[in-house]
Amino acid sequence: MNKSLMIAKYEFLKTVKRKQFILMTLGFPLFFILIMLVPLLMAGTSSPEDLNLGYIDKTNSFEFPDEITVRGSMIFSNEIPGVTNNEELDATNNEKYPIIKLTQYSDVASAKQDLGSGTLSGYLIIPEDYIKTGIVESYMIGKLTDIPQKELSELMVNNLLRDKVDEETLQRVKDPITFKRFSVETTGEVSEKGLSDLLEDFALPYLTGILLLISIFTSSGYLLQSVAEEKESRIIEILLSSVTPIEMLTGKIVGLGSVGLLQIAIWLSVGFAGLIYVFALSINPFLLILSLAYFILGFLLFASMMGAVGAISGSMRESQQLIPIFTFPAIAPIFFMQVLITEPEGTLSMFFSMFPLTSPVAMLIRMGVSDVPLYQIAVSLIILMVSVYFVIIASARLFRVGLLMYGKRPAIGEIVRHMKTG
Amino acid sequence: MIILELENVSKSYNTKKIIDNISFSVDQGEIFGLLGPNGAGKTTTLRMMLDIIKPESGNIKVFGKDLDPNSKDRIGYLPEERGLYKKSKVIELLVYLAQLKGMTKTRAMENTVNLLQSVEMLEHKDKKIEELSKGMQQKIQFIATIIHGPDLIVVDEPFSGLDPVNTQIIKNILIEQKKGGKTIILSTHMMEQAEAMCDRILMINNGMIVLNGKVGDIKNKHRNNSIFLEFEGNLSSLEGLDQIENIIRHGTYIEIFLKDGHDVQSLIEDIVTRVRILRIEQSTPSLNEIFIKIVKGVSS
Repeated sequence: MNKSLMIAKYEFLKTVKRKQFILMTLGFPLFFILIMLVPLLMAGTSSPEDLNLGYIDKTNSFEFPDEITVRGSMIFSNEIPGVTNNEELDATNNEKYPIIKLTQYSDVASAKQDLGSGTLSGYLIIPEDYIKTGIVESYMIGKLTDIPQKELSELMVNNLLRDKVDEETLQRVKDPITFKRFSVETTGEVSEKGLSDLLEDFALPYLTGILLLISIFTSSGYLLQSVAEEKESRIIEILLSSVTPIEMLTGKIVGLGSVGLLQIAIWLSVGFAGLIYVFALSINPFLLILSLAYFILGFLLFASMMGAVGAISGSMRESQQLIPIFTFPAIAPIFFMQVLITEPEGTLSMFFSMFPLTSPVAMLIRMGVSDVPLYQIAVSLIILMVSVYFVIIASARLFRVGLLMYGKRPAIGEIVRHMKTG
Repeated sequence: MIILELENVSKSYNTKKIIDNISFSVDQGEIFGLLGPNGAGKTTTLRMMLDIIKPESGNIKVFGKDLDPNSKDRIGYLPEERGLYKKSKVIELLVYLAQLKGMTKTRAMENTVNLLQSVEMLEHKDKKIEELSKGMQQKIQFIATIIHGPDLIVVDEPFSGLDPVNTQIIKNILIEQKKGGKTIILSTHMMEQAEAMCDRILMINNGMIVLNGKVGDIKNKHRNNSIFLEFEGNLSSLEGLDQIENIIRHGTYIEIFLKDGHDVQSLIEDIVTRVRILRIEQSTPSLNEIFIKIVKGVSS
């Protein structure tokens, strides 16, 4: 077997068996699922309590029912498959909804007294100038209990517009806009876009971009770690008496690149499986292949730089201090996400999607929000490939001279000289 | 047959000459000692032999040709700065290192088991490196050096940090390898080891060769023209001999320095007639003494 491949295999197995890797690879999706589930569970278990509210209407124009049922905390909607209408939902869940009892008081003093005796959980005052200001004062015991604003607002609207508009208009005022989205293609073709289409177009490239970034960082981080560890434990000289520095660097890049691929494959399949299940998405194979291409090139770029950093720095700690030099530009597209999304054809977006350190992530995001011309994708890939070529050559040279240097880190001038001469 | 040849090799780091135009060769089947004080350039010389670093000028030929990946597989190297993957299992690591030298996995496994047995470490084969004592780790490193059955074994300070028992184990393996026709280059600053094991030595200091040759020849060359003598009788009866330049007393014995051009043999004949000899010995300096003399002589 080729020696580079042997190193690749060894590094791959060594890293995959690491606790760190297993934790990161399996933990990340679990963490995500948890983050998504926790609010659902919280909402399901701790429903708001029943309230007993008093109110003093100084405008003398409102008339509230004795009690209302709060449905505002509902997270489910009628889009859930299998549940056809709200009534069915109401029938099954009715007893869970908190009920707010409303009692009218003529003066503040008696309301205060009932609050003191514990009959009331709180009271509201609608001031005389309510119509002008929209202010309603609320007095509650202790910490601010969550008042279901939506239900109360509806009560107010009902009262304000009663007898002034018909029932249909009243309903419309309460819920004025529901967007139905259409996308007009450059060809003039019009198609309706639902939530899942939006997700497909935007969220997938966006998610893929971020996962790409994390995956590139973790696996090139492994590379840095592995080189620095070999240097620190001094096994490096034994290895170098068997293989050339180039064989070693390529072996490591291939081995740890495969680790990164495995990781992102696991993440994406978990993520996509979830999205496909929930939103019935279809995945664009072109996007998938492009993601793969950007991952491989992006990884090669970062990994070979990390390899050189690991080789020239004296210890693990020192090399970790040097990492931000490379990670900062790579994260830049995430910082400028707003710009990338709102002006996908702007100068900055163009720059980010062409500049080799940022293009893998930036291009995928751009593709999510606009139709990037094929030639631009091609140009960005070519720039990336050429950069990878030169960075690998320079890194391999630094790798060779750096590996056996212990103690002091070479000065910048020295590094540049070694890059040129090898 | 010449296994290794260096020709006018030089190397410097940042204008400082580490190796200054040295040439020498190593024959098949010998134990060749590369000696010198710390910082003399021993390790740099070894690294250049193994193509880990490139010489600035000069030629290095191994097995009769420029170093290529194939001949690299025929060399085993134990560096002075050595370590192992701490988290790896002994057997996995050794098999991996043997594979990197071009061995098949089955052969590598076979050799690993045999060698572990020969250093009495087979029971530790499934332990992680970090679980072993320092001496054990060093034995593993030594096994890694010879696991692929190299024709040329290059060891840099192989005995440092080993106790006498383990030193003897390693020594025996090296001598066994030599008997099997393997060539050994032993780099050390421990002269007693070199004196006991080496057929030929090369001593370098400040990047230059200061001694080169067979151990016996070198010792003869640096022999003081003197004998040690322990005797019964009167010292003054010796003082009149005209071959004698000077006599120094050393407690129970004396050292007699001869005048130039006189032979030890004839002196002994004369001594026998005057005193009763208990012990007589031609004074031969140890490599250690020669080493110190040369290093001091150069630096002063």
